[in-house]
Amino acid sequence: MQDTLKLVTQVFGVSGNEEDIREVIFNEIKKYVDETRVDAMGNLIAVKKGRKKKIMLAAHMDEIGIIATFIDEDGFIRFSNIGGVSPFTSLGQRVRFRNGITGTISAEEKLEDFKGLKLGKLFIDIGCKNREEAEKLVKVGDTANFVGEFYVQGSSAVSKAMDDRSGCAVLIELIRNMPKTENEIYFVFTTQEEVGLRGAKTAAFGIMPDCAIAIDVTLTGDTPECGKREVKLGGGPAIKVKDNAYIAHPAIRRYLEELAAENGIPYTLELLDRGGSDPGAIQTTGIGVPCGGISIPCRGVHSPAEMVSLEDLEYCVKLTSLFIKNYKG
Amino acid sequence: MGIIQNLEYLSQLVAVPGYEKAAAEKCAGLFKDWCDQVRVDKFFNVVCTRKGTGKAAKKLMITAHIDEIGFLVNSIDEKGFAGLTNVGGIDSKILLAQEVIIHGKQDVLGIIGATPPHLLKAEDAGKAVKLRDIRVDTGYDGQELKKYVSVGDTVSLKSKFNKMNEQKASGKSLDNRASIACLLEILRLLAAVNHENDLIFIASAQEETHLTGVMTAAYELRPDAAIVIDTCHGDIPELPKEVSSTPGKGPEISIGPNLHPKLVAKFFELGKENGIPYQKMVEAGDTGTEAWATQVSANGIPTALLSIPIRYMHTAVETVNIEDIKHTARMVSEFAKLSSEQLGELLCL
Repeated sequence: MQDTLKLVTQVFGVSGNEEDIREVIFNEIKKYVDETRVDAMGNLIAVKKGRKKKIMLAAHMDEIGIIATFIDEDGFIRFSNIGGVSPFTSLGQRVRFRNGITGTISAEEKLEDFKGLKLGKLFIDIGCKNREEAEKLVKVGDTANFVGEFYVQGSSAVSKAMDDRSGCAVLIELIRNMPKTENEIYFVFTTQEEVGLRGAKTAAFGIMPDCAIAIDVTLTGDTPECGKREVKLGGGPAIKVKDNAYIAHPAIRRYLEELAAENGIPYTLELLDRGGSDPGAIQTTGIGVPCGGISIPCRGVHSPAEMVSLEDLEYCVKLTSLFIKNYKG
Repeated sequence: MGIIQNLEYLSQLVAVPGYEKAAAEKCAGLFKDWCDQVRVDKFFNVVCTRKGTGKAAKKLMITAHIDEIGFLVNSIDEKGFAGLTNVGGIDSKILLAQEVIIHGKQDVLGIIGATPPHLLKAEDAGKAVKLRDIRVDTGYDGQELKKYVSVGDTVSLKSKFNKMNEQKASGKSLDNRASIACLLEILRLLAAVNHENDLIFIASAQEETHLTGVMTAAYELRPDAAIVIDTCHGDIPELPKEVSSTPGKGPEISIGPNLHPKLVAKFFELGKENGIPYQKMVEAGDTGTEAWATQVSANGIPTALLSIPIRYMHTAVETVNIEDIKHTARMVSEFAKLSSEQLGELLCL
């Protein structure tokens, strides 16, 4: 798990530019599945054939980042956000473009206080003398991810893009250790989740599954002065009740709770008041898909240092495995 | 049962978005006497069909959402106070000194109290409290409460149904049970009518959150046209005229890009021909109703929106004028009597 996690978190894959991460995941899973395809939105869909229920498991492979919008005559790059990027967490960070060019984010010096901090007041410095030199390295429209190295300390792992490469790692581990089941399983590594659940919508339409589960990160309620939430790091998977994009189907939510309780998997219930996840789009696709979520407790979501628990990830694999093995509809 | 008895029964049902199963099954029980077939689908939409007599019958879908605004328990502390998260739009200032029911392993009455005025700091008096600071007192301590209630359980507003006079009633969930009562009245009016078109009545789920129920039902059923019945804002002193309608003066018929112009014009015509009062409402974009999702479902569905004016929407004291339910039902039943040819002509531009 740890090696997979390190591999997938560090690869480039800002929403809309998921080519590299798709390639890496494809290589990790291709020999274990019956069929793979990439659809028009760039979703990677891997199938384990079966005769019974069609179950879609979704983890998004895109990550938040920035997109270059303007390069000034001194070679500084202005940028806009891809997904939920806070100017406060951006300040002083490094960003890396797909070609490896790295820049640092600084704020205009005139800025007097933090209240006025907006992305429009920030710029990326790639150390060039002028526009001509900068444009050789970075072009307007290029995207970059935040730089955040991977490390493990105790049972916690920290990196950029745990949202949602940790979910991708859970699916990869599951693909390598598939339980025997007659259900047909669609492992979908979705695109463009961070910009509005875009990939999952078309993937679900193409598959039209009987049900779907998303593996994504969620906020915890265990850090200083945070919101009241039951979810905590190391508390096991968080079973989705609702987020801002959908309400988990009660039958699926209860089944996940039962499976966890019967098999000694610790869990909490997740009621997320900020942010959505792929089922928000999957649920209302076509004739509709009952959906649920197995969420990974994560601290520092949408920062370059997102923290998850390796134990939680193992439990997520176990719970997802039990679900696809036993789900009868 | 008459409209008001139906409305009383319907308003006391509990259907927090996503958890409409029990209410849907009871509602299906009310529909079954009037329909050829009733079923509750996987999202707890009640789907009820009346076959038409026409050889080239078109499918007309008539929807009213069954869900209501509510809450989910998001925390329980040692003292037995439960915290809430909302499902659907709720202004937290209506919650102080309000009774709720927590639907756990058993129903538990909850009180949302308020700081006594004696102890309020001068600067806090008259101010609303944020939902995240609101706690429900159940009379149990934390340990005891956890036997009956878990995080994730649904919570509904508790409110008695009141007949204010012969025309007016007040209570919870009249948004949108007034429209479900209207569906039943439409079915009653059509009981002895041989209509040509197939009619599909839907009491739909999850409107208050993401329009999920109607979005998926419309895709599955592929109707040729749709009529959405919902509630709109009745006039109250502080509301400007352009966003409100007058209770008692008939349904509000919406005009705008969300609605099909020919269907809308037909309703005006039917109103005039049959002496049914109606009011007009101009909506520049999203109507904030199921019409918005229905219009772009599958290949696109010509849609009309009729709304029953209610006052104090999304509170426990919503009020409705029963005459408006009758007027709306007459209007829609007249539309449902159109021949397949007449309906077909309306569907092209």
